[in-house]
Formats: sequence, structure tokens, C-alpha cells
Amino acid sequence: MKPSKNNRPVIVGIFIMLGIAILIITVLTLGGQKKTFVKTFTVNAIFNDISGLLVGGNVWFSGVKVGTIKKISFYGDSQVQVTMNIEKEAQSHIHKDSKAKIGSDGLIGNKIVIIYGGTAGAAHVEKDDFLAVENGLSTDDMLATLQENNKNILEITKDFKSITKKIDSGEGALATLLNDASISKKISVSADNLQATLANLQRVSEGSKAVLSNLQSFSGRLNQEGTSINKLATDTVMYQSVKATLAQLNDASNSLTNFTANLKTLSDKLNRSDNSVGVLLNDPKSAESVKATLINLESGSKKLDEDLEALQHNFLFRKYFKKKEKGQLDEKKP
Amino acid sequence: MKKDSDTLPEERHLISRKIDAFFIEIYEIFKFVRRFFGEAFSSPFEWKEFINQCYQIGYRSLPLISMTGFIVGIVFTKQSRPSLSTFGASSWLPSLITIAVIRALAPLVTALIAAGKVGSNIGAELGSMKVTEQIDAMEVSATNPFKFLVVTRVLATTFMIPVLTLYSGLVAMMGSFVNIHQNEQTSFAAFIKNAFSTISFLDINSSLVKAICFGFTIGAASCYQGYHAENGTQGVGKAANTAVVVSMFLIFIEEMIIVQFVNAIR
Repeated sequence: MKPSKNNRPVIVGIFIMLGIAILIITVLTLGGQKKTFVKTFTVNAIFNDISGLLVGGNVWFSGVKVGTIKKISFYGDSQVQVTMNIEKEAQSHIHKDSKAKIGSDGLIGNKIVIIYGGTAGAAHVEKDDFLAVENGLSTDDMLATLQENNKNILEITKDFKSITKKIDSGEGALATLLNDASISKKISVSADNLQATLANLQRVSEGSKAVLSNLQSFSGRLNQEGTSINKLATDTVMYQSVKATLAQLNDASNSLTNFTANLKTLSDKLNRSDNSVGVLLNDPKSAESVKATLINLESGSKKLDEDLEALQHNFLFRKYFKKKEKGQLDEKKP
Repeated sequence: MKKDSDTLPEERHLISRKIDAFFIEIYEIFKFVRRFFGEAFSSPFEWKEFINQCYQIGYRSLPLISMTGFIVGIVFTKQSRPSLSTFGASSWLPSLITIAVIRALAPLVTALIAAGKVGSNIGAELGSMKVTEQIDAMEVSATNPFKFLVVTRVLATTFMIPVLTLYSGLVAMMGSFVNIHQNEQTSFAAFIKNAFSTISFLDINSSLVKAICFGFTIGAASCYQGYHAENGTQGVGKAANTAVVVSMFLIFIEEMIIVQFVNAIR
């Protein structure tokens, strides 16, 4: 339905009102985002270099936008005073010992002021306070460092080029290592040996594992109450007893040591020929003499035995021997 | 009404006939604008005709402007994405599009579309009235034709182009959001947050000032061409054509001057 001419003012009015509504919404959205209608207070900071910071730039605290740059003016000879509008809401979070530095809201973003730090016990920042400043790392500083790195890299690549040239031309041990085929064979053999060694090591480690397992089992038994080993480890009375025993053993050992020392002295003396036993043991002539003496003694004893036998049958002693024999027989009878 | 250039005798040319005629044209335009301001701030005011012109120029242009704005938003977003994606900065699309739309595209596109649609319409309408002597008849019937025809139209374009610019900007942003939401799955809240993060009140104010200037230029240039049309129906066509060409040319010149001025005070 086409609107009549009388309705045109209404349509135009609605049209204009909608346009104004768009404008108001835009202004409110922008104002809300720019914190235009938020209560603020001013805080100052004096920088040596603001790195192109602009009026209207953002102020961040803990990564949150808390205000904007109100004014930038020179201070003293070459310093710059930056006056910031900070939201009242943020006042309770920013302390007097907080610091300010120039930063960026991205790698190639706008310059901003970053407020950070501050101790919990310190008083809150107030209107027209001056914040301490930390001169941050500017892009120029970073580029200067980068340039230094570039120079270093250039020198390194030059050196590396020289090294590779030498290697390629066969100079030096590294070149020999790379170019000599026999070395590579030796390395291969060494690698095989290493592999074998590692295999052995692996076996040893498996053995060690078993030992450790046994040790663990032993320690388990050691800790298990009621076992003899546990008693040995934990019983203080037994410990004292064992300690005394060990002391006695120690004494015995000392005595044994003395005894063996004496025995050694004795054996040394026996080995020497300056004493009678030594002569008896070590002198072959004496041995022969002793042997001859023993033979004579044996012969003498045989003869003496015969003599004594004959004596028993002598009439003088016969009676005595018969009486003795008779007495032995009587003792054997019950 | 005859122009002064037509009454000058041949021997009185100061430099040459064409150069003198150019400067006389400038003077005529100045006189026309001065008369507009004189008539605009004097009673009686033709409210009914002004509302009618607002309806014709503003409301009737809304579909065309909306369609154009929506397409501009989508196309500009699509064209900007590859460049930003190269830097891995496609998340900056909303702010880039907003800057482009608010600062330049919305007022410029709206003004150019209005210059084509409204400017030719005004030029042809006033031109035909001029050549059919309807304007003379209005003078005879004690109606001020300048106040009724020119002041209402110039004021209507001056007021309606900023409103159309706001619509155009909104619709272009919506077009941009549709495209960004399809490709980057950006939410509306994130889009608005990102979009308004980089623009300032100065951008909006300068955009509205530009739109007012463009509107006044379209109205004044078109009315001048139509109001001074001659040589019958051929003159009507020429007036309509010249109204569009001059309006567009002046819009670009004004855009350049205002951008320079805004950047100087930014």
C-alpha cells in the first residue's frame, strides 16, 4: 500500500528518528568502549622517551584497560610528562608504589602505558600522584640487539664457511675423520664393540636388578617383625650381647694373633740350627746320630727284654711274679 | 530570468569570452548560495514541501542506499581479508572495516548514490519546470519559487544525506559482520567490541560533517543546474546530467579537503 501524502510527515519523522537512534547507539557504544562516561581521576608519570605515545592512547593495568592518555607535555629539559585519566574503579587496585612503562597493545600495535606492580600493603594511588617509571625496551632497542645478533651470525657463518672449506679440502683431523674410509670402518667396529659392551651392560644391569630384588627382599625380611634378622637388627639386648661377643671375638682374635706370632717365632727357631731342637730337626748329622742311637737303643731294649724275661724265671724273682699274677686274677673275679 | 553573462556586450570581455563566462558562472553560483541562505532563514518556511522532499530524497532512497551499503560491506570485507590474512591478522577485519566505513565509505557511497538518484531527479525536475516556465508562473502567482523549490530541496538533501549515511554505515557493518561471521565465526559481541576499538568520536563527527557538506552540495548543485536550465528539453537533459557530474566532482573535492582538515586536528 502506497502511503498517502498526509502520512509522509509521519514516515519522514520515523525515518529521521531511526537515524538519530542509530547515531545515539553508536555514540553510546563508542563512549562505553572509550570509557567516556566513566568517572576518572588523573595520574602522572614522567618518561625519558614515550616512543610515539599519543593523546587518547590506552592505559592498561594487569592487561585491563583502565584509562586513557589525557595530556602529553615536556617536563624539564628533555623529559615528558604523561597525564593519564584513570577510572575511579581501578583506584583500589593501583598502589602508590606501582610503576608505569611504555608498551604496545600488539607486535605492531599502538603505544600504550602499562601500569604494573605495587605492594598490597602500600596506599592506593590518589589524584595527581606521580607514578615511578621503568624505561621499557623500545623497538629501537630491540632492533639494535637484533643488529648485534645479525653481526654475530655473520661472523659465525664466515667461520663456518672457513671450517667447511678446510674440511672439503682435507685439512685437519675432522676432514680426515670424514674423508678417510678406514676410520669409518674403525668407527664401525668401535660401534659394534660398543653395542656388545652395551649388551653386556644390559645383562649386568639385569643381574643387578636381580641383586637389587634380593636386596629388597632381604630388606623386607629385615623390616618384617618377628624374624631373626629383624630381631638382630632391632633387639637392643641382642645387640649388646652380639657386641660383647664381638669384643670377645676380637680379644680372641688378638690372642690368636699373639699365639700365631709366638708359633711363628717358634717355627723360626725350629728352622734355625742355633738351638738343640733346631739342630735335632735341621742337622742331618745329628739326625743320623739320633737314628743310630735309636737303633742301638732298640737293640739294647730287645736284649734288655730278653734279660728281664730271663730274670722272671730266676728263682730269686719267680715268687714275686707268681704272687702278682695271682693277685690280678683275684681282682678280675666278681 | 536572464543571466548577467548573457547581457554583457562583446567588447566588454575582460580576458576572453569563455574565461569571463567561467568566472561569471562562479559569481552566479555564489549569488545562488547567498540567496539560499537568505531565503532559508526568512519566513515563511515551506514545511510541507520540505517534508515532502525529505520523504522523496530520504525515505525513497533508503532501499537503494541500504542495498548498496550492504554490498559495500561484504565486498570490502572480502577484498580486505587476503591482505590481512597474509599477516595472520584477519581478526583485525572488524576494526579495519569500521574505520573504512565510518571514515570514508558510508558518507561517500551514500553521497554518490544520492547524487546519481536525487541530483538527476532535482536537476531534471527543476529544469523542466524552468523550460516550461512554471517557475515564472509561480513568481506571477505570488509564490516564491526559490523558497518553495530550491530551499526545501537543498535543506532536504542537507538533512537527509547524513541520516542516510547513518543507515548506510549500519547496513555496511551488518554486511561485513555477515561475511566475517561466516568465515571467522566471530560473535556479534566480539565484532562490535573489535569494531569500535579503533574509531573515535572525531571519526563519527567528521563523517557526519562530511555527509552534511555532501548533502548540501548535491542539493545546491542540482538545484542550480535545474534552476538555470535553458534551451528546452535538451536543456533539461543537460541540467540533469550536469547536476550529477558536478555533484560527484564536488563530493570528491570536498572529501579530499575534509580528510586533510580532520587529519590535521586528529
